[in-house]
Amino acid sequence: MAEHSKKACSCKGKAKKNCTINRRQFLFASGATAFTVMVTVRSGKGHAEQVPALVSTYPRKHIGKLSEMHQDVPVEFSYPDEGDYSTSILVKTGVECGGGVGQQRDLVAFNMTCTHQGGDMYESYKPEHKVLGPCPLHLSTYDLTRHGILVSGQAYQSLPQVLLELDGDDIYAVGMFGLIYGRYDNLAS
Amino acid sequence: MATPYYVPETNVPLPPKGADVISTACDYCVVACGYKVYRWPVTAKSGGPTADSNAFDEDFPVAPLGAWVAPNQHNIVLHKNKPHHVVIVPDKDAEHVNTDGDSSLRGGCIAQKCYNPQTPTRDRLKTPLMRIYGTLMPVPWDLALEVAAEVGKHVIKKHGTNAYGVKTFSYQYIENTYAISKYALRHINTANFTFHDTPSDVTSTPGFRDAGFDNFGPAYEDWMNAETLLVCGTDPYETKTILYTQWMMKGMQNGQKEIYLIPRRSAGVAYAEKMGGLHIDITPGTDLLVVNAIARVIVENGWEDSDWIQKWVNNKWESSSGFGQGTRNTPWQWRTTWGKFQTAGFEDWKKWLLAQDEFIPENAAAVAEIDVQKIYTAAEWMAKPREDGTRPKTSIMIEKGFYWSNNTGNTQAISALGIITGCGGRPGQVIGRAGGHQRGGVKGGSYPRNKSPEKLPGRRRRAMDTDRYLIAGHTRFAHVIGTTWIQAMCGSQQLADKFEELTVQNPHQIRSFDKAEIIETLKKRADSGGMVVINQDIYLQDPIGNRYADIVFPAATWGEEDFLRANGERRVRLYQKFYDAPGAAKPDWWIIANLAKRMGFDGFDWENSNEVAEEAVRFTRGSRKDFFVLKKLAHDEGKTLHQKVAEFGTSGIQCPAMLADDGKTIIETKRLHDTTRKLPETGAAGINMINKKLTHFNSQTGKCNIQKSPWNLFSDYWEWLKPAKDEGELWCTSGRINERWQSGFDDRRRPYIVQRWPENWVEIHPDDAEARGIESGDYVMIYSERVPGHKHTILGVEADDFQFSKLMENGHIELTKAAITAVAMVTPAIKKSVLYMDFLHMQQPANALEGRVVDWISGNYNYKMGVAKIKKLGPSPYKTSFRTMSFAPRDIV
Repeated sequence: MAEHSKKACSCKGKAKKNCTINRRQFLFASGATAFTVMVTVRSGKGHAEQVPALVSTYPRKHIGKLSEMHQDVPVEFSYPDEGDYSTSILVKTGVECGGGVGQQRDLVAFNMTCTHQGGDMYESYKPEHKVLGPCPLHLSTYDLTRHGILVSGQAYQSLPQVLLELDGDDIYAVGMFGLIYGRYDNLAS
Repeated sequence: MATPYYVPETNVPLPPKGADVISTACDYCVVACGYKVYRWPVTAKSGGPTADSNAFDEDFPVAPLGAWVAPNQHNIVLHKNKPHHVVIVPDKDAEHVNTDGDSSLRGGCIAQKCYNPQTPTRDRLKTPLMRIYGTLMPVPWDLALEVAAEVGKHVIKKHGTNAYGVKTFSYQYIENTYAISKYALRHINTANFTFHDTPSDVTSTPGFRDAGFDNFGPAYEDWMNAETLLVCGTDPYETKTILYTQWMMKGMQNGQKEIYLIPRRSAGVAYAEKMGGLHIDITPGTDLLVVNAIARVIVENGWEDSDWIQKWVNNKWESSSGFGQGTRNTPWQWRTTWGKFQTAGFEDWKKWLLAQDEFIPENAAAVAEIDVQKIYTAAEWMAKPREDGTRPKTSIMIEKGFYWSNNTGNTQAISALGIITGCGGRPGQVIGRAGGHQRGGVKGGSYPRNKSPEKLPGRRRRAMDTDRYLIAGHTRFAHVIGTTWIQAMCGSQQLADKFEELTVQNPHQIRSFDKAEIIETLKKRADSGGMVVINQDIYLQDPIGNRYADIVFPAATWGEEDFLRANGERRVRLYQKFYDAPGAAKPDWWIIANLAKRMGFDGFDWENSNEVAEEAVRFTRGSRKDFFVLKKLAHDEGKTLHQKVAEFGTSGIQCPAMLADDGKTIIETKRLHDTTRKLPETGAAGINMINKKLTHFNSQTGKCNIQKSPWNLFSDYWEWLKPAKDEGELWCTSGRINERWQSGFDDRRRPYIVQRWPENWVEIHPDDAEARGIESGDYVMIYSERVPGHKHTILGVEADDFQFSKLMENGHIELTKAAITAVAMVTPAIKKSVLYMDFLHMQQPANALEGRVVDWISGNYNYKMGVAKIKKLGPSPYKTSFRTMSFAPRDIV
């Protein structure tokens, strides 16, 4: 499956920000990255040499084993740190998803705090629709097959998606797309 | 145009201590949540994550419901020509409206509305444009205004005032609507005048008008405090979010039962069901039957609110007093004396109701295609007294899905149901509209109804159907302000054909550099039977501006000027200027004033928007948004009216407002028709105006008129329209979707919203989809060979001359074809045999399929009534893309 970066970036301050911007700009312009989960090109070789610049600002964290994932049974983990609102879920949906990894590209991970006003969407995964929600506060729902886009509701953006990599049977979280509720910067808690 | 790829940010700047904090309210839906703008120069240091280093006094990460800033809530704007950060967030200290600091997605991302050339807002209109050699070219204000005024004067002189048509928004701030209506009605005095949402300047809810109900009498808390709430033709969660999330949801969590009368199940309906509510999934246009069937069950069981009726419903003599005493020339006078609606009181109405077989629940349910039990359940919840004899507190909310389906009939029927269930006049027991846009209209002149050619049988004058007048070729100068006109009206494609013929296809086109020659060309256009179009807007809309306009005026909008407006509970606030309008864009009042002066009109010498407001406020006296006393207070304190209103921040003043005996304390109005309210004993002394509607109803006696609502005034149209199912026809209706506002003028420039809703879509029931081989994500063609269009302006002589079947028989209805494409969304959330689309996509306008035949009593379009066939074209790119759209159900709760 996908190649991935082996090293975390050690940039700090302004340099770190530049890293982030590079990652964004790359994804914005790119149609050729099989390795990042955000770009859903079905086939083709990844441009692995660009990986470090893209995801290296985030920690690379082991979050599970593919062989232990069961369809539609979400697993919780924390990312990118152990701070507030870091709770995320990893779920094998059984259908191909935007940003999915695994043979079926059906393994995705998302932050679990509603990006409207911070409602906790604990245990709200709807296996029949691959939707997370409704948020108990104001009923927002998110489509996990489509990068966490808002299905119905009031959120100001998609649910932040955790970028995944697969190394054999090991599942790693390597980055994040979208600002986590409550934070002004994903890497500051 | 927006890139369809939304790339989310992962950080956002925070406002520093000392950032400017400016209160405003959302620009969009009627609820008008309070917002705060935090502004600081880009050269200054942004705030930090600790409470002592940011303007929110909050430590980050913030708590749920806290002062979080989503990246879409930040922008960079010019303020006094210097770049500034702005963060625009719902007011976390809000005491009214959006309590809890809540917001919808629309308002929540309003920072993206601001002009910023690095975002898709870069195509804001920045200079006046004139079409020269077929191309819209930038020109100075003077040239654009002079040409428009010279041609306008010529048209009025040669072709009469009605040849000058004004089609305008009704709501985009008091200063603008006042200036526009002063210009069009008081000075030009044209009957060829109407608003963005109707072909004729008529009341939206004739039944409410006749019964005595104000559209916006209730307070938001009433919708929460009702025990049973009947919601007709809207899901407020989708359309006026905060009314739902902050008020109705809390009501339901407190045991309120909500009943929805609507063919579609969206999230708000689904949540109500989950909370024990009821969804009556009616077939379009059958509301009247179901409402009257509910009323029938109530009166058959004797569940009506007899004490209330005794005290507050006009009897025979009261019903006739005042009625029929006037000219019978206004719609209200003739409707109430015509004999079709008026009754001699409750018993007379009841007798009529019980005599109509179509209101027997089983019969009504059969036509509406619903489970008859729902009629009985609704009646019980709304009116059945409890064992201790107390009654449920019942309220009724209506909106466009209801009153734009059978405008007169439905609003008459619901008024009667409201009256017998004791709605209106008490806390938690109210009846009103939920609302669409905000309430920013103040008229600076009155509509010259007697100049309208529209005459119904008898002495019955009605405001002009401006679409039909245009199609007949009488409009020589169309002045279009802040509306798409064409896509917003029924039979859009018929209307577009005529615009094309009268403008683009006319031989007189500007091909000159010389002002006199330009003016001469446009005069010839008008004289040759063609039409000159001038358009004021913030973006170039297609086709009204982009294709048909000869002159385009760039308008300044929300945040670019100080403006006043009221919301759906009559709360008036100042929407403050916080950044520079782009380029040479000017507020509409300024454009009108400078055009008016060139037309030779006096009274347009305003220097700023406050001066317009101070003149306009006098005309709010006696209205539901009467805030005249604030001007007095302001002047007593040496302030301007705008300054005074600004002091009330996001709370504003709930109107009508009056002053207490001390001459200083403001007395607000929580709800209209409040029979429990005690007014000051001094009465209407001094500056105070005490209108009947404060404590009574808007009728000749102050009591309600209970009126009949005959089905047969509409049933011939409904029967004709009804889909021929064996030919594959389905009902085709439309409405709002939460994520988009109006034509999407802002949303089309928000990458995230473009990603969510790249184009128009159509919900189709799985059975209907399967029969046609349609799957979610397929492109479909939605088309009709029989879109009816009323083509002649006629003088009615016989009583039924305007009845649809008569119009048809006499050759006044033209049937045309229409077709639009859309992306299919297969879902059981929409009733079988019904299609549902977004109501106003510029490229794929649902209104193209809706009949261009006005409700013949009121003059409103029944926008929600259409019929169409649908066929698969092939897969859209969204069917397999993972970035754009979602086909997951929207009713998961």
